[in-house]
Amino acid sequence: MTDSATLMSFDTLVDMHQREIYRYALHLTRNQADADDLYQDTFLKAYKAFDRLDASANYRAWLYRIATNTFLSAKRKANRERPLDVAADGELAAVQEDQPASLDARDLLVEVERFIQTLPEKQRVALVLRKYQEFDYRQIGEVLKCSDEAARANVYEALRKLRACFGDRV
Amino acid sequence: MTAPYEPTHTPREEHLARKAAEPDVDPCDIALEAMPGYVIGDMAAADQAWIDSHAEQCNYCKNELQWFERIDDLLEHLGDASAGADIPTAPRLRVHKKVARYGSMPSPLGDLLIAVSDDGICEISFGRSGTDKFLALLDRRGFEAVADQQAIESASAQLREYFSGRRHVFDLQVDLTGVTPFTKAVLTATSEVPFGRLLTYRDIARSIGKPNATRAVGNALGRNPVPVIVPCHRVVRSDNSLGGYTGGLDIKERLLSIEGATLPVV
Repeated sequence: MTDSATLMSFDTLVDMHQREIYRYALHLTRNQADADDLYQDTFLKAYKAFDRLDASANYRAWLYRIATNTFLSAKRKANRERPLDVAADGELAAVQEDQPASLDARDLLVEVERFIQTLPEKQRVALVLRKYQEFDYRQIGEVLKCSDEAARANVYEALRKLRACFGDRV
Repeated sequence: MTAPYEPTHTPREEHLARKAAEPDVDPCDIALEAMPGYVIGDMAAADQAWIDSHAEQCNYCKNELQWFERIDDLLEHLGDASAGADIPTAPRLRVHKKVARYGSMPSPLGDLLIAVSDDGICEISFGRSGTDKFLALLDRRGFEAVADQQAIESASAQLREYFSGRRHVFDLQVDLTGVTPFTKAVLTATSEVPFGRLLTYRDIARSIGKPNATRAVGNALGRNPVPVIVPCHRVVRSDNSLGGYTGGLDIKERLLSIEGATLPVV
């Protein structure tokens, strides 16, 4: 380990990024219990791998990658355990056409929150990173291991789906 | 302001006007295709201008653009809701919440509650809404509140000068921790409105490059954590009515009369 890596202690890393990583976990999972788990898992994995990390690494991006991969693999596992017919996502919420024509603001927020959970994971991750964590598309691409353009397409597709589902009721 | 809003990347110019002018292209298709980028803030100024002018002529696209803005506004609300959530503490993970030191001062608008962090003034509430609400707001933004009347001395001195008409510009840092990017952009633009001047919600929407987001701008100003310092009272409706004010419309009127500002907006 070089000097600069020694300078950045794990505690410092936690202090610097715990708030934004927790907020990120909340946005991804949209529920406190899952966010707690994701947050803990992320820092636990980071702690175990910290000594092996290159001193010149971008620590923040590294944490986001760990959090994102942990989230994605937990989702994949959950999907495998669910029966096939409910595993199809994205289309689910769009089917709920028999909703009342308008909703009050609070109901609407709850519904948007629920709908975001049905988005394909990469779209959800990309939307959260762009909207709440102020990442640019290059950074999103790094976290999702895809091109800038694919990252951008994921964000736009998420917005289009939201609009298609809620546009006439908001 | 300590947290100026900057676009996260340089918008890429798509030359939408040129694309839409092609003979085999429906301009509405071009506009609709570009709307997600428009609301999320990816669009170059020239492309934005083209979409705006297209929406002026095409009711369908104008509506559609407003729906997209509304979706963005809802996402903004979701962001606010989780901004100050408690971080779980595991044995290994010590959590340091940011400290906000707070106190109160009398003013012509009734008592003001003021909180200051190491990075600047972070919250002002009108006393009439109660200390509990004030502390809840701080908590929601992730601050640990500590009563400390001394800490607010420099802020309250400047506010006293303002209320007595001797100060037109505040020389204070503002801490916008826990405020979402769009709201930050609105607050930053609003903090540029000079003493005694009025702008409309639409003006602010234009100045942050989202001319159709008038309603979202109003909502964002309603979430201004530091009223008076960030002068959201200087923003009114384009029909020359006062619009809203979280502290109560009488306070907005009072502030404007202190500044000698009068409707209509010129």
